[in-house]
Amino acid sequence: MTGMDAILHGGLQGYLVVALLLFAIGLAAVLLRRTLLMQFMGVELMLNAANVALLAFARFRGGDLQATVFYLFIIAVAACEAAVGLALIIGLYRHRDTTDSDRTASLKQ
Amino acid sequence: MFLAFALITLLGAFGMLLQKNIIVAGLFMVAAFFGVAGLFVLLANPVAAALQLIVYSGAIMVLVLFVIMMLSSHEEEAAEVGHPIQRWLSVLLALALAGGGVTLVLASKGVRQLAERGAAMPPAVTLQGVGAALFEGHVLGFEVAGLMLLAAMVGAVALTKRNL
Amino acid sequence: MNKYYWLIPILPLLGAIFNGILGKRAGKGAVTVVGLGTVLGSLVLAISAFFAMKALPDHRLALDYGEWMATGSLSVPFGFVIDTLSGTMMLVIAGIGFLIHVYSVGYMHDDEGYGRFFSYMNLFVFFMLTLVLGSSLPLMFVGWEGVGLCSYLLIGYYYETDFAPDAGLKAFLTNRVGDLGVAIGMMVLFAAFGTLTVGDILTKAGHMAPEAGFGILTFATLMLFVGATGKSAQLPLYLWLPDAMAGPTPVSALIHAATMVTSGIYMICRLAPVYTLAPISMDVVAWVGAATALFAATIGLVQRDIKKVLAYSTVSQLGYMFLGLGASGFAAGFFHVFTHAWFKALLFLGAGSVIHAMHHEQDLFKMGGLKSKMPLTFWTMLAATLAIIGFPGTSGFASKDEILYLAYLKSPALWAIGVIAACCTAFYMLRLFTLAFLGEPRDHHAHDHAHESPATMTMPLVVLAVGSLLAVWLGWPKAFGGDFRIEEWLASAVTYGQLHGAHGEHGSAQLALILASVSTVLGLGFAWFGYATYRNGLAVAEARAAKFPLIHKVLLNKYYVDEGVELVLLGPIRWFGNLLWKLFDVIIIDGVGVNLPGALARVSGDFTALFQTGRVRNYALSMALGAAVLLYVFLK
Repeated sequence: MTGMDAILHGGLQGYLVVALLLFAIGLAAVLLRRTLLMQFMGVELMLNAANVALLAFARFRGGDLQATVFYLFIIAVAACEAAVGLALIIGLYRHRDTTDSDRTASLKQ
Repeated sequence: MFLAFALITLLGAFGMLLQKNIIVAGLFMVAAFFGVAGLFVLLANPVAAALQLIVYSGAIMVLVLFVIMMLSSHEEEAAEVGHPIQRWLSVLLALALAGGGVTLVLASKGVRQLAERGAAMPPAVTLQGVGAALFEGHVLGFEVAGLMLLAAMVGAVALTKRNL
Repeated sequence: MNKYYWLIPILPLLGAIFNGILGKRAGKGAVTVVGLGTVLGSLVLAISAFFAMKALPDHRLALDYGEWMATGSLSVPFGFVIDTLSGTMMLVIAGIGFLIHVYSVGYMHDDEGYGRFFSYMNLFVFFMLTLVLGSSLPLMFVGWEGVGLCSYLLIGYYYETDFAPDAGLKAFLTNRVGDLGVAIGMMVLFAAFGTLTVGDILTKAGHMAPEAGFGILTFATLMLFVGATGKSAQLPLYLWLPDAMAGPTPVSALIHAATMVTSGIYMICRLAPVYTLAPISMDVVAWVGAATALFAATIGLVQRDIKKVLAYSTVSQLGYMFLGLGASGFAAGFFHVFTHAWFKALLFLGAGSVIHAMHHEQDLFKMGGLKSKMPLTFWTMLAATLAIIGFPGTSGFASKDEILYLAYLKSPALWAIGVIAACCTAFYMLRLFTLAFLGEPRDHHAHDHAHESPATMTMPLVVLAVGSLLAVWLGWPKAFGGDFRIEEWLASAVTYGQLHGAHGEHGSAQLALILASVSTVLGLGFAWFGYATYRNGLAVAEARAAKFPLIHKVLLNKYYVDEGVELVLLGPIRWFGNLLWKLFDVIIIDGVGVNLPGALARVSGDFTALFQTGRVRNYALSMALGAAVLLYVFLK
């Protein structure tokens, strides 16, 4: 399979390209949106992109089970991150009445 | 099939990026997660697909939506200062990363060889296999993950509760 | 008993520490007990040591407490030497010091800084005793610097006033010039003799051929004499002493009349054999002394401040002492130190008593008629005045005539200067005395409130008065059939280590008698003149001043020396200082050295602060950019 074929028909390259684009979109969300929740979701997207790449490699290496185990760990970490991150957002909202990350720049002083 | 799921994923993500309303953005996000789960199925990994649906689309996204509901404003607040440099640099960087990555992937000989060698569909990952692999080689990691979840839970409670 | 003699200087030091640290908390009673007790203890020990020394065949009690510092060929012992010279001086310091401490109890009674005052005074006694007893030049130098410090502290004692701190600073700075001389002299002596122990220096000097170390010794002795002119207020470094009267009167009496200012004379006596080897230095000493005696005496003629008169009188009398030393009359010079200590301390304390009674009025023209109000002060002051003008039979008579006689043997011109200065002294002392005690009161208000001072103040006056009159017993001049026994007494110290022994030229007794009579009669004549001028108030004197306005003005302004120093010395220094300030401080140090790095830091900080927006997105972007660059570098 050549490059473009692979992308169109579910070759390894196809998955990797999807993962890369997903990662780029996630990064763009973090960098372009000011709402903390949106940035948070961007981070989740980037994490998912990594998962896609990981599991794609595993599939083309003959269905390696270790990758799935690590995927398990990754979503455990993602769950923790989600819990603490959202708690922080709520805490911030209570203190500052905002979820705009640009408005929480008081460390600058 | 692959193309359909890939498109769902990417369009969902893209929609989330552009959507002003956070709730709608969150729903786009769920779509993207569904797409990813579909990709996992195509990767002969139903276990991961199930986990993806349960944990991400189920738990995490519900959590996010709950938080969105708790906050009063669902629209993005007006910008304090414009950041044209930030904006353009970010877009440029994202495009560069995506473009660079894609070129790299397509040009890479190793990836192509790997793709050709593993083209045959392997047997689907079973929950039993994953469980065995997890408890044979990663018991300690599993325990630590549990501990970490507990710590995150305590931390989240501590952060959000007004008076402990 | 020997093993306790180290306490002689140490006791006052302990007192100083106690009063300095606890003085405020302990209360006046404790301060008085400690302050006086330590000096009294020191005096008792000093008397004991004195007699122990007297009992020794060579009158020399050396107390060695081991090595102090040793580098290379330099080895300085830490020890004290009590011989006839230092022993006598030690008694003067401890004795008069104690009397003045007693006096201070009364004088400083209402002062806020009672403990501080006694702390300084005790410290002074400690340093002065160290200076006198030190067995080596460095140890003497420690005392020398220490008394300078105490002098500074005590002159500036009334630090709230504008004038006192400046006066203290003036004294300190002027003395620095002299102290540099002492330091240089010490080093040169070390180069010449290879030792800094006084005894060894004298022994080596004694074994030198008379011409051997001529140049180097002349240099060394002249340098030491520079130090002496600083400490003992001689031309040209006398300027600080009149200003030093800003301190409390007991300080003026103890430090600036009786003890510290004579340390220059003491040092020269101590090193007498070395000075004898340097005849040029002796000439310089004699002429500087004579010039100072006359110079200061003439200024004293017209001063209005009672303490200023006494200050110039002190400068003048110190000039006499140097004149005596320069004329090889070490015993005579030192004898004058001894007698002067009594009567000048008495004069100052008497003046202090008057000032105290007049509520800190120091202007002679506002006094008058105090005789009936303050009989004890009056009579004791009379004794002191008689002593200083050299009234026959008083101590001043004996010492002054011996000096003048020796000065005549050296050069009749010196004698003439000395006699003129003595006449001036007689005039201004009687002027002071008459203005203060006799005649009509010129300020009735102050006069009405004047009262005799308390017993703690008058008792020392009486003791000092007796001393002023009786000290003559130690040295009744040969011209009048005495034996001037102090010369014999000091001989063992002044000629220590000498092969040749003392060799005074001695003219005929007849000549001595004639000279003494002339100077005495002239002195008494001028004394009468002073009395007559001021007997009926100020009118006569004012008329006479009007007749010689120029002279009067010049004298009143102290020959414009202060102004001259200001113009010639301080002006350029200030100009140069300003230049340095503007050029180096403002431009180079402030500008290039301090502000430029500051500005650089500020500009670079401002610049980098542009990137410190505090916004998470900006940080995330730069982080991602960095990561992208790294990726590019590694995957290229």
